[in-house]
Amino acid sequence: MSTERQDLTIGMAGSGGDGVVSAGDSLITALALEGYYAIVAKSFGSQIRGGESSFRLRVSTEEALNIGGTLDIAVALNWEDFLRFGSELPVDGTSTVIYDEKTGVAPDKVPLAVQPAQVVAVPIEAMAKEHAGTEKAKNTIVLGLMAGWCGLARASIVAGLRKRFSKKGPELVAANERAFEAGILFAEAHPLRQSLAMAPPAEKRAKLLTDGNEIVGAAAIFAGCEFFAGYPITPSTEVMQFMTREIWKYGGAVVQFEDEIASVGACVGASFAGKKVMTVSSGPGMSLKSEILGLATIAELPLVAVDVQRGGPSTGLPTKGEQSDVFQAIFSAHGDVLRPVLAARSVRDLFGVTVEAFNIAEQYQTPVILLSDGELGQRKETFDPIDTSQFRLVERRRPFDKELDGYVRFRLTESGISPLSQPGMKGGNYLASGIEHNEAGAPTAKGEVHARMNEKRFKKLLPLKARRDLFHIEGDADAPIGIVSWGSVAGVALEALRMARKQGVRAKLLVPTLIYPVPEDVYQDFFASVERGFVLEQSHQGQFYRVLRMFVDVPRGVTSIARSGSNPFLPKEVAFKLRDLAREVQQALAPELQAQE
Amino acid sequence: MASVNALTEQAYQARDYKSDLKPIWCPGCGDFGVVTAIYRALAAVGRPPHEIAFVSGIGCSSRIPGYTTAYGFNSVHGRALPIAQGIKVSRPDLLVLAAGGDGDGFAIGGGHVSHAIRRNVDLTYIIMDNQIYGLTKGQLSPTSHRGRKSVTSMYGSLEEPINPLMYVLAYGAGFVAQGTPADMSGLAVLIEEAIRFPGFAFVNVQSPCVTYGEPDEQLKAQKAKIEDLRALGHDPADWLHGMDLAREYGTKLYTGVFYKNPTPAPTFAHAVSSLQEQLQSQALPKKDILNMFAPRQA
Repeated sequence: MSTERQDLTIGMAGSGGDGVVSAGDSLITALALEGYYAIVAKSFGSQIRGGESSFRLRVSTEEALNIGGTLDIAVALNWEDFLRFGSELPVDGTSTVIYDEKTGVAPDKVPLAVQPAQVVAVPIEAMAKEHAGTEKAKNTIVLGLMAGWCGLARASIVAGLRKRFSKKGPELVAANERAFEAGILFAEAHPLRQSLAMAPPAEKRAKLLTDGNEIVGAAAIFAGCEFFAGYPITPSTEVMQFMTREIWKYGGAVVQFEDEIASVGACVGASFAGKKVMTVSSGPGMSLKSEILGLATIAELPLVAVDVQRGGPSTGLPTKGEQSDVFQAIFSAHGDVLRPVLAARSVRDLFGVTVEAFNIAEQYQTPVILLSDGELGQRKETFDPIDTSQFRLVERRRPFDKELDGYVRFRLTESGISPLSQPGMKGGNYLASGIEHNEAGAPTAKGEVHARMNEKRFKKLLPLKARRDLFHIEGDADAPIGIVSWGSVAGVALEALRMARKQGVRAKLLVPTLIYPVPEDVYQDFFASVERGFVLEQSHQGQFYRVLRMFVDVPRGVTSIARSGSNPFLPKEVAFKLRDLAREVQQALAPELQAQE
Repeated sequence: MASVNALTEQAYQARDYKSDLKPIWCPGCGDFGVVTAIYRALAAVGRPPHEIAFVSGIGCSSRIPGYTTAYGFNSVHGRALPIAQGIKVSRPDLLVLAAGGDGDGFAIGGGHVSHAIRRNVDLTYIIMDNQIYGLTKGQLSPTSHRGRKSVTSMYGSLEEPINPLMYVLAYGAGFVAQGTPADMSGLAVLIEEAIRFPGFAFVNVQSPCVTYGEPDEQLKAQKAKIEDLRALGHDPADWLHGMDLAREYGTKLYTGVFYKNPTPAPTFAHAVSSLQEQLQSQALPKKDILNMFAPRQA
């Protein structure tokens, strides 16, 4: 006898015209309305139109920290497309596999490396044709199957279908309702051996729903961003699309420039003019922007640059996320530069971290790089409302009237921060420049002035390293096992930690929001009790691990677990790794016991 | 076009725009005349220095903002126009000037010119065209003539030069003029007219390099070559004829207005403010901005 599920991960794949992605969107919208926590990630081949597409949806009664592990339910409209997604749609012996009977594969002959728990062939296409008169309704049949077998969001799905097809006429609305109903009836007529029924949400109150690119735009507007400039680049473009739709309403402006360089250049100009500014790109675009980011550093102008990372180098894997721009974000600068780098671990988290990026940029008159990635940027999450009154919005330190009398732009102050005037302020006139300058802003090539100015530009950022609130630490404070993870992968680490601790493993996790500068003492404190551990991240080199080792005495037992993009970590495998480490720690404590075994 | 105010009525004098910074230019450099012309043009227009943003790239001529009392920005090579556009789009209340050399504007920054023109951001772009890279000591520039010898073209340039005038005319700039510090008063009037023009305005200045330039490019030689477009009877509203005259770039030294759109197109700032007005009622209170993500299906 089975109990209701608290958590389900559903994956579905088909070819371009199958409406797979829109089925995922319909489903998560319905789940948001019902009050479930959910995440949906869509994935495509690199074709412009057509080709394979998939979604992967996790629904939970508790906050979903990542897109989940192996699929509880795998839906294959055809096998070729399903298999193209490889490790993105992992199936194991606990999965239920549903596929279109039309593929002609016998249930005991499905082309998978493992035998799933149950396999159901459904005449999906035939049912679509029969009930809706078109195979285009295959996705609606699948929604009906999910609603039937999982008991998910029936009324909300129907409402969604009505809305989606209302523009196309009552005929299509009725056809899709029939298809949906047919899916439900099929599920009811074919009860599963292992039930997939989902428990109701903890609270039946609609959640908010968006993706990690749009929320960055909303956070920027909230933070006071009045100028945005960008250039299309996957997987970041939705931020600019959002801004072109929204920023005008709030008195701001957006320009799609002719290239990446011009976009960041225009941001520097608008910042010089006194506005909060943002530009967004991905790895290759960030490379193009890096010269002007250097200008923003030396001219001491606030600027937020978001890097929605993708697999690289070069065009790499443009549609897939990766965490391989850590080195670039920190070290791409020419000259001596300390440029703050931040990262967020979920769509919801991106809101606060984006606001923080603006605050740091304004406070310290510096460019700030926010590392998002293709997975965060493209995935949709349902989430609880955020109390925006908790955020303090920082404005750059502008000169007071009396400071405008004999104004000195780059005055050497105790903090290293000098009041920043802007055009329109009488008496605040100064020369901003990329060339080294003295306190007054006049160009100079004097070594001692350059040294003093470098010192000023570094000194002003030191207080950042005391910001303990930019580090999330969870678990047993004195644990011998410690892991560090950041960005989108941190959600996997967090779930793995909780799983392992439930099994009695004493472990802890550190998730930095501040990637750079690295505050040595935060890590020294964290690692003080740690004998074994790892830094978990999505890149080939384990870039953040290597950065940590530049600044921190990372214990020898702490290694790098890193994997190239588009090969997701599963929470369970990370939890197993933690359990293995616990065994190692145990064995190290009692080697003689081990010998007796 | 004469200045609107008689000299005695001006709120500001040319000297109000001159900073204390001493130019690094070589004695005899054409850019001295250009900066003086700019002081005069700004005084004639009469905006206070703190309401002016003056952006440049990198090069000898790009030092120019520092020699004015405006809010200056001596930025990086080739990017004066993007930075200037960022300023103007976000702060349409400001008077925005951009300036630089021919290499800055038509080599490394060449990709930006056409887009600034088609966007029609209301700013004035002054190129100090000396057909050579001076700051880096005499390399070939995009306006160097074929056969020009330089430290990077020992046997003479193998390339045709770009024609800045035809370039900007072809992309539809609303105001295109050429001047020279050899006629500094005339240049001041051209720059003033460019500033007053509502939209993207371009002034090419034949500003010779006294150190690496050729003898026939120098101010003295120029004075003998100047041909005033008005004296030739050119109507600045006649784009086709302006284009025809622009073809003589590099052979003749025409000064004056090649083209001035008699019915200027709406500026980018205008489009921005209409959009803002049209949409402002749809704004959510910022504290509730996340409500835009409330799921809707019914």
